[in-house]
Amino acid sequence: EANMMNLSRSVALISLFLLPLLSFSFSVDNPTDRRVLVLLDDLSLKSSHSIFFSTLKSRGFDLDFKLADDSKLALQRYGQYLYDGLIIFAPSTERFGGALDSKSIADFVDSGRDLILSADTSASDLIRGIALECGVDFDEDSSAMVIDHSSFSLSDGDHTLIAADDLVKSDVILGKTKIEAPVLFRGVAHSLNPTNNLVLKVLSASPSAYSANPSSKLSSPPQLTGSAISLVSVMQARNNARVVISGSLQLFSDRLFRSGVQKAGSPNKYEKSGNEQFATELSKWVFHERGHLKAGSLVHHRVGETDEPAIYRIKDDLEFSVEILEWSGRSWEPYVADDLQVQFYMMSPYVLKTLSTDKKGMFHTSFKVPDVYGVFQFKVEYEKLGYTTLSLSKQIPVRPYRHNEYERFIPTAYPYYGACFTTMAGFFVFSFVYLYHK
Amino acid sequence: MMARCLARFLVSLLALAICNAASVSHPISDSHRSAALDVFVPLDGSYKSLEEAYEALKSLEILGIDKKSDLSSGTCENVVKVLASPSSALKDVFYALSVNGILKCKTGEDVPKDIVSKLQAGAKDAKLLLDFYYSIRGLVLVKEQFSGTDLTLGDAEAIFRSVKALSQSDGRWRYSSNNAESSTFAAGLAFETLAGVISLAPSEIDQSLIQTVKTGILKLFDSIQKYDDGTFYFDGSEGPISTTASVIRGLTSFAASESTGLNLPGDKIVGLAKFFLGVGIPGDAKDFFNQIDALACLEDNRFSVPLILSLPSTVISLTKKEPLKVKVSTVLGSKAPALSVKLAEALNSKGSSVINNQELKFDADSATYFLDSFPKNFDVGKYTFVFEILLDESANEKGYITEAQTKVPIAATGAIGIENAEIAVLDSDVGSIESQKKLDLTKDGVVSLSANHLQKLRLSFQLTTPLGLVFKPHQAFLKLKHESQVEHIFLVKTYGKKAELVLDFLGLVEKLYYLSGKYEIQLTIGDASMENSLLSNIGHIELDLPERPEKAPLPPLHPTDPYSRYGPKSEISHIFRVPEKLPAKQLSLIFLGLIVLPFIAFLIGLTRLGVNIKSFPSSVGAATSALLFHGGIGAVLLLYVLFWLKLDLFTTLKALSLLGVFLLFVGHRTLSNLAAASNKLKSA
Repeated sequence: EANMMNLSRSVALISLFLLPLLSFSFSVDNPTDRRVLVLLDDLSLKSSHSIFFSTLKSRGFDLDFKLADDSKLALQRYGQYLYDGLIIFAPSTERFGGALDSKSIADFVDSGRDLILSADTSASDLIRGIALECGVDFDEDSSAMVIDHSSFSLSDGDHTLIAADDLVKSDVILGKTKIEAPVLFRGVAHSLNPTNNLVLKVLSASPSAYSANPSSKLSSPPQLTGSAISLVSVMQARNNARVVISGSLQLFSDRLFRSGVQKAGSPNKYEKSGNEQFATELSKWVFHERGHLKAGSLVHHRVGETDEPAIYRIKDDLEFSVEILEWSGRSWEPYVADDLQVQFYMMSPYVLKTLSTDKKGMFHTSFKVPDVYGVFQFKVEYEKLGYTTLSLSKQIPVRPYRHNEYERFIPTAYPYYGACFTTMAGFFVFSFVYLYHK
Repeated sequence: MMARCLARFLVSLLALAICNAASVSHPISDSHRSAALDVFVPLDGSYKSLEEAYEALKSLEILGIDKKSDLSSGTCENVVKVLASPSSALKDVFYALSVNGILKCKTGEDVPKDIVSKLQAGAKDAKLLLDFYYSIRGLVLVKEQFSGTDLTLGDAEAIFRSVKALSQSDGRWRYSSNNAESSTFAAGLAFETLAGVISLAPSEIDQSLIQTVKTGILKLFDSIQKYDDGTFYFDGSEGPISTTASVIRGLTSFAASESTGLNLPGDKIVGLAKFFLGVGIPGDAKDFFNQIDALACLEDNRFSVPLILSLPSTVISLTKKEPLKVKVSTVLGSKAPALSVKLAEALNSKGSSVINNQELKFDADSATYFLDSFPKNFDVGKYTFVFEILLDESANEKGYITEAQTKVPIAATGAIGIENAEIAVLDSDVGSIESQKKLDLTKDGVVSLSANHLQKLRLSFQLTTPLGLVFKPHQAFLKLKHESQVEHIFLVKTYGKKAELVLDFLGLVEKLYYLSGKYEIQLTIGDASMENSLLSNIGHIELDLPERPEKAPLPPLHPTDPYSRYGPKSEISHIFRVPEKLPAKQLSLIFLGLIVLPFIAFLIGLTRLGVNIKSFPSSVGAATSALLFHGGIGAVLLLYVLFWLKLDLFTTLKALSLLGVFLLFVGHRTLSNLAAASNKLKSA
């Protein structure tokens, strides 16, 4: 067991190192997934979660429903992936059918493809293992559920139907429209691996939550408590593959989508829970309908010129610009932000400047080349919560002044010039006097 | 096989979870009606196929939503087209007639003759169950919709027999005689078909034939699937919802068509109703239709009409003194006949009975049965209420049935009294109290304590239920949170009447990672029965722990805050090398002036000395060479100026070498002229 764990951990580590090396799966022009494999442990989930699936279908996704133990399961054929995305709604599956296992799912993510994984109470080791590779640890106690005696849905006598409203503050992940109604959640708690900084909580539990078996007395303190409990998390790998991990399968169900909600201790009563909006917006993010950036090439030239020089001289004034577009699910739209930065970099950044945007996707700045010569790089490294990472660079050498580029007539030297020339004039006059005086 | 078993197990697991969540079935309500409008949204004013149109219209009709006028024009056009065309498939004709039954696109005496003969021929020549189904049901629909035609089936009994021939010994049916695979779904279709044959038959069908079908129906009920909570369903490759709906439709029409009546097990019919209600609101149009249609069949049939007991809330608040409300209605939510509801038993979590045989009062205005007084010993906690429905004699005509007993989990909640909350720091060895504070747990941050590793922290409080008994909450945690975000959770256990936690810091230093400093103290008390669950930041304690030994474990890492991890970095601008500090230009000019002064003094000195150039040669040749000589010197000096201004060293040296040779020559001439002139003067 322990060995397995180590093994899977090292696989995860290796895969993290390999991620940047692997190529992008999406076509560069159209990064949204199209073909999605949906693995279910029971075909009745297709009807009990039909709203979620039909919103996906209505957005143009081609869903392929399969039982998780279908013996013909395969993600790739002849080395080509058959799907762009994977939804695993099979929390109790101990073993996938066909050629699918946790390693092939890790490879699938490593190839830049996306995954929605939903566990539930009594999630199998297989599902836990896949989550672990994404930096998510589910509560080891298989009978444990998230319990919250302060923020539960009033319709629930067990306090296991959590009305969660601690959402990540990110428009790109959850959309611009605020999710007003609490999100209903019934399921298992997880925590995030602190060494993995690619994973983050999207829906967190309240400080009074804890993870335990609701029907038995606690004999030892629960492993997970308070806002350390994550209910739904997302991971964006270094290759921009996106993963959503939820501790509740019911969160996506028609029942909770349609359910009204009133949070305990709150006078607000909502006709409809926030689940549908939450799940829909999250699926837009995970399938790259939002937050996917594309950059044009880095453009730079001296002030007043238009052509890119082959080399800069120290202290040149230069102008830098780059075009950044965001994929809207259908087309590339100009990206607007005020936190894009460029570095002029040689071993360490010599200049780091924030770019200003013209709101049409172009970002500009200008600065003076430092008085250090060598081979520099323009570097744009953009990491923003929920957005794909941009890492662009362009090399440019910088040379010192040439001998004839220094200042020629130095005022300080005027006395020396004067001394020379008066001596010469004196000599000229003296030559007459000396030779022709009588 | 394995997989199938597993899948079945999972269905039950899932359904169990669903049923637990719902805990009790609810009849179809307004939420279904509003959902129906979302589910059955036509694309551009009409549905993709007549089948979909029928399912949508039928569901909306059952739910009492009138959308016919919006949809009729486009859909009716299709119906008329299909009914007019002789080449339409049986299936399309069937669905066209079904839609026509709702929208009444084509009515009256004007019987579509072609269609009737087509259906009659279809029924006669059919080999497949589906062909029988579409043609016979089609004829039934024609009979219902168009008056005045003789639609009787010529050889009804033969058709009955050939349909019956497709049945299997286990009550299921085959789709065709060539295909050995039988299905429960097909059985439902067959029952409907047979019901159609009976109603279209000119003379009565042989009773023994009908009897064999009835035996088959009972056989089919042997294969019914069951959940623990008394929910029944039929499973099949079409999925449980479609399969069960098909069977119920078949049974309803079969029971309606013949006179002797079907005697079906009542608990299973209630179980089937509970199954459909337990599905909730399907998001899929097909499932939605199957659910609503099957429930409509259960609402109005000739075998038994199930009544459903539902509770608006399964949580009773003892502080609000709300009565426990129970509603009884049919599956579609219409009014139940006269009846009484009895609370047979209320069991607490230990299984002992608290309330026995109490009849609920009836409020006719809200059609609600309620229990407003609870016995004195009824405390907070989890209960299982067992209800029984007793139908009045008069209601029995319609064949109403109910569950024998409905078990409902009920949570009784109340305000828990919190008393004698105290927090104290004790000296370890003698146990004497160093500092003790009364706590008001409703206020935050009032306590500030300090302790070292030789002392103890004691926290105690008493929890009592509204009846004054000791209450043991599910959640009673003390959380110590260090400044560095390291957290420690301790359980507060209940001993006797008191909940107490004693933290002996000497034994805890390792667990606390030897982290001295300020710890926030947070107390969480909560329980499903507790209405005043609380999360209280009591205050803080300043701990003075020994130094960390080298081998002691390090505190765990904490995930970094995602908001601070990203975001722009602070700007860096390059600091350029400061240029050498130069004197002011004016100073240089002043010194330039000073430098020029000696030259001016030299010129003035020369004039003062009265210098002259009287010995400048007067002869043309000598004067020329002298002028050339001085011109040469001037040119060299000028060259120097030019060198300073713009020439490079190579040009300058080249020019200088030429000028040098020239100067040597003219200089020699000039000097020899001067020497000759001075010799002449001496000799003179």
